[in-house]
Amino acid sequence: MQFDWPDLVRRLFSERGVFVVSIGILIFGAVLSYLVWRWTRRLLANAGVQAAVEGTPFERTARSFGTSTVGIISNIAAVFVYVLAILLAINVAQLGSPDLFWTRFTGYLPSLFIAALALIIGLVVGDQAKLRVSERLRSVKLPEVNLIPELVKYSIFYVAALIALGQLGVETTALVVLLGVYAFALVIVALVAFWDLLRSGAAGIYLLLTEPYSIGDRIRINDNEGIVQEVDVFTTRIESDGEEHIVPNQNIFRSGIVRIRD
Amino acid sequence: MTGLDDFLDGLVAEADAVFLFSPGRSEYEAIAGGETEVVVIGPNNDIDADVFVELPLEFEDLRDRVRFGVEGAVENGHVEEDADLVCLAGVFQDDSDTVTSVRADQFDKSGVYDLFANSRAEPSVIRNVLEVAVELGKKGQKGKPVGALFVVGDAGKVMNKSRPLSYNPFEKSHVHVGDPIVNVMLKEFSRLDGAFVISDSGKIVSAYRYLEPSAEGVDIPKGLGARHMAAGAITRDTNAIAIVLSESDGLVRAFKTGELILELDPEAY
Repeated sequence: MQFDWPDLVRRLFSERGVFVVSIGILIFGAVLSYLVWRWTRRLLANAGVQAAVEGTPFERTARSFGTSTVGIISNIAAVFVYVLAILLAINVAQLGSPDLFWTRFTGYLPSLFIAALALIIGLVVGDQAKLRVSERLRSVKLPEVNLIPELVKYSIFYVAALIALGQLGVETTALVVLLGVYAFALVIVALVAFWDLLRSGAAGIYLLLTEPYSIGDRIRINDNEGIVQEVDVFTTRIESDGEEHIVPNQNIFRSGIVRIRD
Repeated sequence: MTGLDDFLDGLVAEADAVFLFSPGRSEYEAIAGGETEVVVIGPNNDIDADVFVELPLEFEDLRDRVRFGVEGAVENGHVEEDADLVCLAGVFQDDSDTVTSVRADQFDKSGVYDLFANSRAEPSVIRNVLEVAVELGKKGQKGKPVGALFVVGDAGKVMNKSRPLSYNPFEKSHVHVGDPIVNVMLKEFSRLDGAFVISDSGKIVSAYRYLEPSAEGVDIPKGLGARHMAAGAITRDTNAIAIVLSESDGLVRAFKTGELILELDPEAY
């Protein structure tokens, strides 16, 4: 906006010439926006976006309006380019008061575009994440477990909304603080709740890598003696005379094991 | 058409329960509205049927499919042991096209349901091993027929009842049956002599194992070779099951507690 376009054009052409130039800009903008529309479509299609958004509520809503996520995004991109061209043309023809409203609006436009994009991506990714997580948890027949996918979805929505609002220049500090507290709480809860699992997992990875004992060996852990039946990341199963001891791997590290060779 | 209608009516009139094999949702809802009990048998319970028996293999032969369904339903107490059953199944296409009538005690209990549901190893592991064996039987190793012996479950005890013939190629590896790369590995290693040992969770513990169970009192059909004898004996001695691909006749057989439970022809599967 530093460079004074209208003035330059005005100096180069006559009054009528300026009008022709702004018409030209309009036509050029239309062609460019069409090209942008096609490029975005092809780019998104090549990137496999269509398959990625399949089945999300956003895509379904878009479908019910006779379009698709790819269509919406490419339309937004095209409209963005075209509106930019219109503003430029208006500016050149000096139809409105140049410096007040339109220049500010032009400066605002990219943020608006990014905000819209962030919202759409957030909606799609949130829905998709929810689908993925619930797919994973499908084998868990526990009604309460449905809370987790919802939580994941709304967390992603929240972050997307935060990015969009930040782009629009809305004061988001309080919301960011809220997000920080939420993330912090999540980490603390995870640490406290999964502390034993984490330690067992770390020990289990060592056990799997070095295999101090393997399936078929006879070992003793504390007072449990038996044949190793299974070693996985979290537990070791040893079996003796119809009793199967499932020992967390951290116990093996803490108290050590005895391998019994005969 | 009245004769045909009468015949079909007669076939289904006495039925205590209806068995639906992999039905569509509309089919299930139409039949489940009636008075007779409905048992759904299929690879997965997509339609949320109340009474469901999971079919671990897509048995090509209708007899095997029905037998599995009946044994599963009786085992779980869905139907009485002497119930009259009507089965709707798809033989030539995916939709149901066949009606059969069968009594639940019509055939001897083969234990094929028991093999999957009540073994130490998980059903999906057994299914994966069976699939590997069937695929191996179909293609062979570089066109030549191969034999293979998989001992599934109770791996600790099996390892103690066997000895290595050579270095174990699966030492310090943590691959499980069903991983895509593993089928290729198993195929390659099937040229080795000896048995594969697979744990309850499907981890391949060892190849190249020489099984040393006590073979007393193992009764397997005459004419089967040493590989089958070893399979029968190890399953009698431990809680494992054994899946054998025969080199001579190309059939896949499953053993449990020393008995032949299941026989599959890879070509027909």
